[in-house]
Formats: sequence, structure tokens, C-alpha cells
Amino acid sequence: MKLGVLLMAASAAWAAPKPVSLRIYPASIDLRGAGATQRLMAVAAYADGTEADVTARVQWKVSQPAATLDPAEARLTARADGAAKVEAALDGARAQADVRVSRSDLARAFTFARDVEGILTKRGCNSAACHGGVKGRGGFKLSANALYPKDDYDWIVKGGVYQVLTAEVKGARVPRIDAQSPEKSSLIAKPAMTVPHGGGKRLEKDSADYKALVEWVRSGAPYGEAEAGKEVKLARLEAFPSMAVVPVEGEHRLLVTARFSDGHTQDYTDQVLYSSNNGDVATVTPGGIVRGKRLGETAILIRAAGQVASAGAGVIGPPVASYPKAARNNFIDDHVFDKLRRFQIAPSELSTDGEFLRRVCLDLTGTLPPTGRAREFIASRDPNKREKVVDALIASPEFVDYWTFRYSDLFRVAIFANGLTPKFSDKYWEWIRANVESNRPYDDVARERLSAQGYGPVSRHFTPYNQIGTPPDTMAEEVRVFFGRRMDCAQCHNHPYENWSQDQFWGMAAFFGRLFKMGTIVVDHPTNMDLSSKDVDGKVETLHPRTKVPVRPALLDNSPVEVPADGTPRRALAGWMVRHPYFAEAAVNRIWGYFFARGIVDPVDDFRITNPPTHPELLAALAKDFRDNGHDLRHLMKRIVTSRTYQLSHRSNASNKADVVNYSRSLPRAIDAEVLLDMVSHATGLPETFSTAVSEGGSVGQAPWGMRAINLRDPDMYYSRFLELYGRPNRGAIPERNAKPNLGQALHMLAGSTYLDRLDAKGGRLGGLLESGAADEKIFEDFFLAAFARTPDAEETAELKRVLTARGDRAAALREFVWALIGSREFAENH
Amino acid sequence: MRWTWLVVVLSPAAAARVEPVALSANPFTGGKGASFTVAIRGTGIKGATAIHTGTAALQASIVGAESEDGSKGKTDVVRVRFESAADARAGRYAIRLIAPGGISNALPIVIAEEPVVHEPAGSHDTPETAVVIGGVPVVFNAHITKRGESDFFAIDAKAGQQFTFTAVSGLPAPGSAGGNARGFDPSLAIYEASGSWFDPKRINRIAANDEPLWVLGLPTDARLVHRFAKAGRYLLRVEAFSGQGGPDYSYQLKIREGDAKDPVDIEAAWRERSYSRYLSANRLNELAERGGKALEHEPMETYGMGDGSEPRIKIPANLDGAIARPGEFHRARFQLDASRDIAIEISTPNTAPPEFNPIVRLLDDKGEEVATNVSVGRGACTGAMTKSLQSKAIVPLRNPGEYTVEVREATADLAGANFRYRVQVRQQVPHAGDVVIDADHINLTPGESKTMRVTFDREEDYRGAVAVLTGQLPPGVQAVASADFEPDKDPPPTKGKRERFSPRTERSVVAFIASADAAATPEPAMVQVTVHPVADGKIGAALAVRAIPLMVVPKQ
Repeated sequence: MKLGVLLMAASAAWAAPKPVSLRIYPASIDLRGAGATQRLMAVAAYADGTEADVTARVQWKVSQPAATLDPAEARLTARADGAAKVEAALDGARAQADVRVSRSDLARAFTFARDVEGILTKRGCNSAACHGGVKGRGGFKLSANALYPKDDYDWIVKGGVYQVLTAEVKGARVPRIDAQSPEKSSLIAKPAMTVPHGGGKRLEKDSADYKALVEWVRSGAPYGEAEAGKEVKLARLEAFPSMAVVPVEGEHRLLVTARFSDGHTQDYTDQVLYSSNNGDVATVTPGGIVRGKRLGETAILIRAAGQVASAGAGVIGPPVASYPKAARNNFIDDHVFDKLRRFQIAPSELSTDGEFLRRVCLDLTGTLPPTGRAREFIASRDPNKREKVVDALIASPEFVDYWTFRYSDLFRVAIFANGLTPKFSDKYWEWIRANVESNRPYDDVARERLSAQGYGPVSRHFTPYNQIGTPPDTMAEEVRVFFGRRMDCAQCHNHPYENWSQDQFWGMAAFFGRLFKMGTIVVDHPTNMDLSSKDVDGKVETLHPRTKVPVRPALLDNSPVEVPADGTPRRALAGWMVRHPYFAEAAVNRIWGYFFARGIVDPVDDFRITNPPTHPELLAALAKDFRDNGHDLRHLMKRIVTSRTYQLSHRSNASNKADVVNYSRSLPRAIDAEVLLDMVSHATGLPETFSTAVSEGGSVGQAPWGMRAINLRDPDMYYSRFLELYGRPNRGAIPERNAKPNLGQALHMLAGSTYLDRLDAKGGRLGGLLESGAADEKIFEDFFLAAFARTPDAEETAELKRVLTARGDRAAALREFVWALIGSREFAENH
Repeated sequence: MRWTWLVVVLSPAAAARVEPVALSANPFTGGKGASFTVAIRGTGIKGATAIHTGTAALQASIVGAESEDGSKGKTDVVRVRFESAADARAGRYAIRLIAPGGISNALPIVIAEEPVVHEPAGSHDTPETAVVIGGVPVVFNAHITKRGESDFFAIDAKAGQQFTFTAVSGLPAPGSAGGNARGFDPSLAIYEASGSWFDPKRINRIAANDEPLWVLGLPTDARLVHRFAKAGRYLLRVEAFSGQGGPDYSYQLKIREGDAKDPVDIEAAWRERSYSRYLSANRLNELAERGGKALEHEPMETYGMGDGSEPRIKIPANLDGAIARPGEFHRARFQLDASRDIAIEISTPNTAPPEFNPIVRLLDDKGEEVATNVSVGRGACTGAMTKSLQSKAIVPLRNPGEYTVEVREATADLAGANFRYRVQVRQQVPHAGDVVIDADHINLTPGESKTMRVTFDREEDYRGAVAVLTGQLPPGVQAVASADFEPDKDPPPTKGKRERFSPRTERSVVAFIASADAAATPEPAMVQVTVHPVADGKIGAALAVRAIPLMVVPKQ
């Protein structure tokens, strides 16, 4: 059964009454074992291209007694080995699916991990908010989402209180089951509320789950197959559809299939716990029915014992009349526009030339286009001018400047983050610049950074504050930068929302556990040589914080890793990381985020099952394209900016006003502090002066005259009120920029030197124009082109003329014009 | 010893004696047979009367003086005219000012082989105002006059032509050779006027070379060797790292064709633990001499390493090799017939730590590590284990048997043909190691006394004494043995086997006392200080010799 991506719009309100076709999901049904069941779904397709979940409306029929069908529940149940066909009919449309029943006499063996843990998961007992929390609840600890069934079994059967910082059990061990009176087991009595339970009632006494637990306790609370080493594990959950599209108040059901480690599959629709990431957009019932609440998109989380999956839920508006046919430039547009079509969102028009030029110059180079170039571009009739200017920008030294700045941020080039003397970080900056300039494949860059040794520039990365960072901190940063994932939670306990355990975290951290600063150099301390350690009873090893046992390096996916005793384990890690699908996905998502102000997964470094991508196929396609083209960042950027999607206007239409996640228009976004300061310098024609805030050798320094903010190598060294106010990040940790406006910015705009001292200073743009005797219109046009890459329209010109006349003092009025221009939203945003 | 001694009539000395301190000399380079004027800035140099150059090859005369009011008080400027002899030795000369307060510290003046050109007046901090380089080789005297300033130089290159550019600071960075408290770390970069889509006049950097390392003790001067792929005019930019500038920020820009090497600074003083010291086959005798003992050792044998074999050596021995490939290690074996204290010394003639970081291990016949050149301790604050590589270890070997010497690079991935080493394994020879005489110059007023410290290291269980001799004292000044206070230092919490890597350091103090009626010295006396080992009742050859200028100056 292929559970591919299928987007379906339940369009009861506006779909044509008669479907043009009908489909049954799953298309092929394999019922294996006694009492095996399968939920069914019927999807109708309508003439206008929309689709809808019509499961509840169709007439169901099954052809043979091999299986019985409950039409109210749309559920098939195995009865006897054999084949059958199931049929659905609606308004003249019909669909069939094959059914095969096998081993109907074979009862599936019980396992604690699947059966008991399944109940505890579905009932929410092991959720992070309950007993799956860091310390558990009420002295009872379960592994989050049943990650450690053997531990859970012990806590239930043997009892005891879990401790976070040690593997020792606190207090006396009192079992949580009562074999003599199973109903009195605290495991059962509490959720059934026959005794007080802080978590409330979780189990009805007449439910199948209650009975199953009682029966399990009565039968001696066995662990099941695993005791014989034959445990079949739940390997993956798959939700269908991957995106449920519904109108407001419309409904769509989800089907969930479990894939097991022995290869067989099973319908798990009724055995999982559903929850919506945003109940304001869509809710979900315990049976997996998604209901649209308001326009938007969210994720439905699906949990079973040991596994988590998600499905998207999109709530759409009414159909767009005369849906526009937008040109498509590359595969990005295919993915984005196909989804927009299904969501009934029309993309905006193509951006104007001026809009595009300003946007692409800022995004690729952090630099506003010169007035002459803007005039030239707008006037050009070359149909390929956009692609040509993209090529010119990507080949420009300003591109190197800008992306050196960008990656210096991400890689934390800072005097305090990478060593106490600026020279260390200066060489690290040079390394980044050389990589950008030569367009070095990103996997090579990552490999070198991950395994750097000695005294070279990259090794400085491992010596924040001139000391080796701790293994967990270092590992968590590398995983966040190169995998786009945040594992930090798992440092102290199993990750509450993801399938990452504390053991996995420390296995990864152990790759950095031998990092050692020997004098001034960074080495991986060998494990087969003492190198005088015994002189101080020392050891270089990574200890598990809970068990206090030395941890061996282990990859996240448990694939075997060879780590030579006198080599660097980070080399093996680096090789694995850059080949892992996460690597390319994280890289393209981060770059995408730079160009669209939000990642396909957003935040760009917070990939998790519970934070799914808005466009998973697009993400996969971009990652594949990136890998296929040698991890070439310039290629990736060109692919993005030459797409129609990137080039859409920021002006909205009726259908996309509310859209902020589907790239149906260009969303105006705040500009980074350094770029904005350079823009002010560019527009006014007066560069900023940067003095060092950190003295060196007893003498304060100053960046060369004309130095741009994005070219400051060690920005921490330079004092700048403007940069502080506009969110220059502290690179002591992976920078996160705060794009929200604040009062300080407003005050600085009113009275700060960045704005006021430049308005007509000698050597500036306005001063030059006034000296040359330029007419008002010429001044307006020049400044509009410099600031907005467009000329003022007739209305703007007329209004400006009116203000000038009313002001009386022309020079003062022009100063105010320049101030208003560089203080405007149009100037301060990229759109 | 010769003197340049010229007296000019200047204003009388200030009421209170002020110690003269020379801060900078600008410019500081001159050619052979040339005359050039240098502005020496400093404090307490007002009323300077003469210049001490220490050689007749460099004559000097004071031609003017002025004072500057700065934010940190008054600074004096003395203008000095230097004349170098046509046959003057090229290199650095230490010059000092003689002022009413006495003799100053030394500043370097360089005599260059190449033609010397002075940076034309005016600003050169834009490509348009670049100083055009007329011919090569050439040395420019130049100056970063204010913060944030860059100096541009224009050079015409043919396709394939290679040049070596060096920028030498007149104000070395802290910790570098000859450094003082402030420092000027010059940076070099080459640009071409290739423009960009945004700015057709943009200059683009094509090469840059600031030194890759910033390690205390290593110079921070910039050196850049570049071969130009295309013919054309290029721009060379010199600036201060971090953008400092000011009246003291002078530098020398030297441009030569090809990959021009600078003469290696031969270490004149004994450096017991320098990685660049030469471990000669005659080292046993060199050490014996520093212990005041007779020279009776045969030269030791040298073994080549790295050919895949594990040579069987006989100690004392030199082991020569290079860690050419990552992860490579070399081994040699020797037999020890009786308990013996040995020393292991390591030198790296081409590339020293922190670039090439040799680890030497001594293993017993079971492969157990007996000793290494890795010193270990625990940090005083955190208690964390710290390690550092050492160029020498002394090892007591108590058990006879077969031992293996192993040499490798500390990192798993770094290697190269230039990762050359010499490891010397030998018996211990007690001797005096590094000797440090802490006085640069001494100014005394009548009745005043100042002390000079002489510290020395007892190496390899040297139990003899050292004698400090002083000579050529001016009348009315005597040098006497003395003692001063040294505060106790907290011992490190866990120091490991520190004694293997750190010698015991002791010091002697000499007090120079000017009698109350000591006459002022019109010129500095060059006091000779020599340090000798004393062993078995005999005084040995000099361990260190230093001439220290000393003046007696009036109290007012």
C-alpha cells in the first residue's frame, strides 16, 4: 500500500454534488492474524479538482465472508482466510479495493512493549505532561512515549521511585500491580479513578483497554516476546493523508498504519493518541477525525508506543473564481503552486522590476542596488534580465561579503565566543570568507569544522572562552547547525517530544568527549595512550550523567562506527553527518529561511516530528537538488531566487491576505541590523565609523573609513548603538536575531546620530545634490532609487512638492524628506 | 666600544629627575651610507643631550625637540639625525637617548641593504592616493598616523612575477621579540581594481597575510609572498590589526622580488627549552661546560627515523625524522643495563608548536608508558586536568631493560615534510640552564641604590653555584651582593610530575650603590655583567655576558 501524499479538500459546501470519481483507501487491504481489522476511507473527486472525505456518506459492501464490514465505523474485520473485494458507492460513482485475509486462526502473541505500553500511550499516561515527564508524576515514572519499555515494566512490576541524576531507585520498591486483585492495582485503579488520581479519569471500567490491563495483571504480568528475544518492534507510523485539507467546519478522517520491524503492517488508526498543534485552526477527535476551525495550517500529532508521527491539517477558504495560471520557472514553483491550488490560494502577481531588484540585491548581497543600476534594470527590455542580474550578483564580491557575514553569525565568529584574543576569531573569519569566495561544497566545510584539530583557524571554534567547550554543549551546537535539530533536552532526560533518548544524546556527545586543549592546540586525546594522565589520576572520558558509566561514541541511528583509539572520532561523525539526509535538509531549509523569512520547517533549526515541514516534498526536492549538485550553496540560492515563487510581489490578493506559510506572496521582513545600517549609509552617502569597544595593546582602534557593518570581522569589538538597538546578536550562543521593533529604535530614529547626523552632512548624497543645484524632482528620484530601487510615482512627487513648498525652507524640508525616507517601513523592510 | 656623543644646548632639566622613557622612533629605517632624521617620542626625554648608538657605524645628532600635549599628558619629541656608514652592517641597532634623567631604554633603528624611501607627506588611505612603488627592491618608511588609517601602495607587476612583501612594526606587539607594553601589529593585503556590479571602482582583495598565529614570544610582523597571475597595477594595503594608529605607529614596508627569505635570527643567548635550539652531537660537552666541568664526552651518534624500521640505538643518541603523514609515528629501541637518570630533549628545526606538536613517549619492554614530554596538572580554579607539551623531560629510569622511544604528532590529522624533529636521548649532565639578567639600563642619583636580578635554572640536578661578576663601574658606584623579598606563590593544587619539566630556578641580586658624593657621569658607563658556574671550587666559562649602560645623574 502506498501512502503517498494526497491532498484532499472536503468541500461539502461548494463541491459539485456528484463526484466524478471515488477511491478507497487503502487500495489493497491485507488482514493478517485473528481478528485483524482495517479502517477504510472513501475519497470523492469533483469536477472542480477538489476532493473530499466521503467515508460517512458512501454505501459499503464486501463481496465475500472472509471479512465483515461495519459500515458505521467503515471498519473491516478478518473472519477467515481468503480474498474479497470491498466496494463503495456514492451518487453513481463506485470504487473497489482488494482484501486478503491470511492466518486468521493465529492469535498475535502478547508483548508488554506493544500492548500495555500502547494503552498507556494512547491514554496519555506517558506523555511529557504526565508520568513521561522528566521526573514522572506522583513518584511514578514512565519513559516518555514508551521509549524504554523494559524500564517501564520494572517501574510497574517492581515499583520504586525514579531519580533523574542517578540510576539508583529511591525508596522501597512497591509493585504497582496486584496479582491477587488486579482491579486494585494502582496501575489500573488510578486511571479508572476508583482511587484518587491527579491525572483524572483515563480509563473507563468497561473499556477494552481496562479489561486488557486487568487480564494482563491476572495472567501474571508477563513481559512477552522480548524475554525470548523475539520482540517485533513498531518501526514507523504512517498517516494518511499526509495533509488533510478541510474547509471551516469540514471534517476529514486520518488513517494510521503501523510498520513493524519484521516488515508487516497493521492498521493503527484506533490505537494511537491524536492531538492538534493548534486547536484554533483544527481539532482532532480520539478517532482521528480532523475538523477545520479557521483558515490556516497546523499539525496533527500521532503517538503510539515508541513512535510519533504527524499529519498536516489545512483549513481552506472558499474556491477562487478564475484561479490564475501562474508561470512556473522550476520545481520549486511546482511544489508551491500545486499546494496553493489545493488550498484555494491564488499567488500574487509577479513583482515589479524595482521590487525584485531591491529584494534580490538585499537577499543575495545585503546591499542596495546603486541608482544607476536600478535605472538601467527597470529600463531594460531583456526578457532574461532577472536571471542575468542574479548571475551578476552571485558572482559579485558583495555576495562574498554578505555570506561571510551570514555564516560568521551562524558559525559564531566572535572574540568572546572563540577565544579571548581577536586574532583567533579573525582567522576563523578568514576561513569562512575563503570558503564562501571559493564556493566550497558545504559538506566539505562542515566536515572540516566538525573535525578541526591543532591550532588552525577552525579549531578555534572548539575553544569558546579559550577553553574546550563541554561535549554536550559542543555536540548540541553541531547538531543544531548542521542537522537543524535541537537535542538539548535529551541531555538531562529522554526528549519529551521526540524519539531521542538521553543515551542517544550522550552517545553523540561522546564523539566530542576526547576533545582536549593541549597547551594551545585542540586534539582528540587518544584512548590508547596515557600521556601522563596518571600523574594526576586523570582520565579523558565521557560519563553518562545518570549511570556514571563511560559512554562510547554512538551515532543517532545506531549505525556502527569505527573510532580509532589514536584518531579523531569526530572524523567518523563528520562523515556520517554530511551523508545523512538531515544534513542537506537542514542546509536548504536554513538558506530557504534566509530568502523567505521563514523556513519550510520553522524555526529553521527546530526540525522535529512535532514541528513538521509545510512543504515536505519541496524540502526533499531541494535537498536532493542540493546533494545532486555537490552541496553547492550558490546553485541552491540561484535555484531559489530564479523561481517564480521568490519573485512574487508582496502585494496580496483576496485569497492570500491571511497566508503566511505557503509563499503565495513575498512577506515583508525586517532587515538585519548590520544590513540596515549599511543601507542608511548607502542612501545618505555617508559611511559609518566603527571604533573598537575592546582595547587591544592599550590602544583603541577604528575600522578603516568606509568599512561596512557586514564586513566587520569581529563585530563584538566595535561599539555601535545602532547595531545594539536593531538586534545585533550576541554570538556567545548560536545567534537568534530579534526582528521585533522596540522603543529604543524609535527614539534613535528621532534623535540618534545614525539618522540625524547624516541628513545633509558634507560628502553625503543630499549635500552633493544640493551643491550641484539639482532640481527637487531629481533629488526625489535619486533618493527613491537609492532607498527603494524605484522612482516616485506622480502622486508621491506631487505630495513631496507640496510639502516642500509648505515648509518654506527648502534645505530643511529636504533634510526631513531624507529622514522620513530612511525611517520609513518601506525602507526598513525587505519586501 | 665606541660612542657617539654629541652635546647640544637645550633647556635646563626639570626640577625633579624624571626617568627617560623612549616610546617610538619614526621612521626607524635608513639605508647604508645615508643620513635620515628620526622623531623619537617619549617621556622624560625633554632636554636630551645625546644619542647612544653603541657603534661608530651609526652616528647620531640631536637636531630639534618639541613637546606634544596628548590626552595622557605631555609627550616629548626629540628629532635625531642619523648617519650610517657606507659599510655599516645591515640589521637592527639599539639606540638610546641620554637625557637629564639619565639614559633611556633602547629603541631599534634598522639599517637596510635595500634602497630606503620615505612615505611621501599626506594621506595615502585611498587607492587614488596610493604611493607608487617605483622600483624593487625597496624599503619604505611609513606610518599609520591615526586610528582607522590604511596606507595604500601601488605596484606594477608582470604576469607570473612574484614579490615578497614584509611589514615590520616599529612598535612590536606585546610579548613579541622586543615588544613593549602597547604594540602595533601590521596587516598586509593585495587588491586589484576589478570592480563589481555595484561599484566599478571597487578594489577586491586577492591576497592577504596576517600571520596565522598570535603566540606570546612570536613576532606579529606581516609577510606575504604573492605571484601575480595577470600583469597590471595592484594595490598593497597596510593597516594595523584592529585599526589602531597614532604617532608611534611607524612601520617598515620591504618589497623584494621572488620568494625572498629574511635571515634567521640566530639565538645568541642560551635557550635551554626553545624548540628551535640546536641539539648538537656535542651537546654533552656543551652542557658540561655550563656545569663548570671538564669536556670529556664523545660526540653522540645520530639515527635516521621514519623509514619503517625501529632502529636499535645506543644512548646518548640523536634521532632525526619528520612526521610526513597523518598518524605516522616513529620508534627506536635501546637497552638500559643499569638504573640511570636520562634526559630527553626535542627540537623542531622547521616548524614549531603550535603548528607541529611533537609527542615523545618512552615505553618499557611491556609497552607501558614510562615517561612523555606531556606535562600534566590540574587547574587551580576548576581542578580540570591540563596538559602541555614540553621540549625537554628528565626521566629517572630505575629498571634495566629494553625501552622504546616513540615520536608522533599530537593531532591525528596534521603532518608534513616540514614536521621535522630531532630528539636527543642522553644521560643527564648537571648544568646551569637559562640565565636572565633583568636590567636594561640603570640611572642612579648620588646616594641612590638599585638592584639587578640574575635568575638561573638548575638543570639536571646541578648543585654548583653561580657567580655574578660586575666590571667597568664608574667612580663612586659599587656593586654588592644583596637579597630582596620574593613573595611566596601558592603551589598548584596538583602539579603532576612537574620536576620532570621545570627546573629549579634561583636568583641572585646585585645592588648598585652610588655614593653620596658620586660624580655625575657625562656619558653612560657600560657595566659588564658576567655570570659563571662555580663547581668543584673552580669558576667556569661565562654563562651570560651583558653590558648594561649605567649613569650617575644629578638629583635635580
